[in-house]
Amino acid sequence: MVLDDIKESLVGLDMDKVLDLVKRAVDEGYRPVDIVNSLADGMKIIGEGYERGELFLSEIIMASEIFKEAMNILEPLVLKEEGVLKPIGRVVVGTVEGDLHDIGKNLFTMFLKSMGFDVIDLGVDVSVENFVDAVKQYRPDIVGMSALLTTTVVNMEKVIKALEEAGLRSYVKVIVGGAAVSKEYAIEIGADAGGIDAYEGALICRKWMEEKQKISVK
Amino acid sequence: MALTHRERLLRVFGFKSVDRVPNYEFGYWKETIDRWHREGLPLEVKADDDIERYLGLEGLESIERVPVAVGIWPNPFEKVLKREDDKEFVADGLGGIFIRKKYISTIPHYIRYPIKSREDWERIKPLFNPETPGRIPLNWNDIVEIYKNRDYPLIIFVGSLYGWLRNLMGVERISIAFYREPEWVEEMMDTIVNLSTAILRKVLRDIDVDVAWFWEDMAYSKGPLLSPKLFEKFMVPRYKKITDILHEHGVNVVVVDCDGYIDPLVSGWLEAGVNCMFPLEARYVDPYRLREKFGRRVLLMGGVDKRALMIGEKAIDKELERLTPLLEEGGYIPTVDHRVPPEVPYQNYIYYLKKKKEWLEKHHP
Repeated sequence: MVLDDIKESLVGLDMDKVLDLVKRAVDEGYRPVDIVNSLADGMKIIGEGYERGELFLSEIIMASEIFKEAMNILEPLVLKEEGVLKPIGRVVVGTVEGDLHDIGKNLFTMFLKSMGFDVIDLGVDVSVENFVDAVKQYRPDIVGMSALLTTTVVNMEKVIKALEEAGLRSYVKVIVGGAAVSKEYAIEIGADAGGIDAYEGALICRKWMEEKQKISVK
Repeated sequence: MALTHRERLLRVFGFKSVDRVPNYEFGYWKETIDRWHREGLPLEVKADDDIERYLGLEGLESIERVPVAVGIWPNPFEKVLKREDDKEFVADGLGGIFIRKKYISTIPHYIRYPIKSREDWERIKPLFNPETPGRIPLNWNDIVEIYKNRDYPLIIFVGSLYGWLRNLMGVERISIAFYREPEWVEEMMDTIVNLSTAILRKVLRDIDVDVAWFWEDMAYSKGPLLSPKLFEKFMVPRYKKITDILHEHGVNVVVVDCDGYIDPLVSGWLEAGVNCMFPLEARYVDPYRLREKFGRRVLLMGGVDKRALMIGEKAIDKELERLTPLLEEGGYIPTVDHRVPPEVPYQNYIYYLKKKKEWLEKHHP
């Protein structure tokens, strides 16, 4: 079945095949949303492989690139069919001030996008003020912060405090990550989650959105 | 048994008995040196090699390196395009633009990488030409004479197959190129191999070198940036072309400098003749695990957990004790597992060096 083949080809990192199959599926009348779901299933397998330590950064980057290219074909079709392409949630991400490392943040972003999040990437060396301004401007559900250095990790706590002072903390979940962040440290500085790998972090974000949706349905 | 510095290094890596293991350290962040200046390090002691000499260390910065240019040559001129608060926007002279933090030691953050396409590579490729004048000093014969009958070790830097290209392209672009444009990646790596082997042939004809040194930095906390499958396909055979020449000339200690969780790459490096792992970041790498898995094929350097130096004396004692069996077994030279970070007080470092000196004299193969 073509949808299974799309998933398998994505896991096999074969971009040409995935794009051919996506076009074929569209021509054969598959719903664009179902095609997107098969790609998302493929990304899930990739994410789980990464979490188990069986897949590595180059493979995640390639899979995300394939996903992005396939979505370029599918997004207009989903919009046409569904009227709206509604993300499952919005996340503002950035590497904290003083830190220019972005591997972890970019990985997290890739997994979030593959799960259907709208991601506002503030980049690296993001000041406390810029995080707060972004929360005011984009009204995200979640703020994700990354830091590799022991010298910069302290800036995460400053952002959380600034969000509290601005009266914004209760509106957003905060997740923190990076080599210098442990689960204990995440809790200590007042984050909602942290000290986990990029894929697990994205799964937690999705769980938060599912819980939020349940509450709003009630 | 009084040994020379050179004998000591080679005997340790040959698992032979020594009077003591050489006393090396990796180096220091700029912020660390600034802090230490406020805590007792004399102001005139600034550079890594100055600090090593002042503190009675024998390396790594102050170990003699063969003065040849393996890498992009001539060195490109940087130009600061704009200054903004604590940042500088810098044109790297190769077509790239990066942001540099003025007061913090950290990696440059590229906003435009020098190589985005094959056309960009064609522009930069001539800078890897081994025949460009100036790679080998014009007073080569004098240098050859100086290195004859020496009692100190000599290192030669032999390049980087992945790290350089990643720095020129960015991790995302190069990762995709491995899958979408593999012939191009091979061509770029072959260009580097050609440079390295051409220089080595000239140098090793005239000079006995003790240690060869690759720089890669191709791993992070979770593992390699490149999948081991691609590493083995693209890089292992190319390393071999370089290490074959090294081995032919008796250079049997081949170091790779790679931070992060390196375990999935070690078997490939060993197969490729790259046998000494450095700096063994303690948070990710257990040197005992590597020695258990690979035996005496693997040489080790680094491994002292920098976090122990942040904590204090008891933690330092415990950390050295942890590494004692490895030190006594041989094939291992301890250093802090990266540059010493600014969280380490000068007094802690002085304590560490004092204890380490005693430890090296007491425990050795």
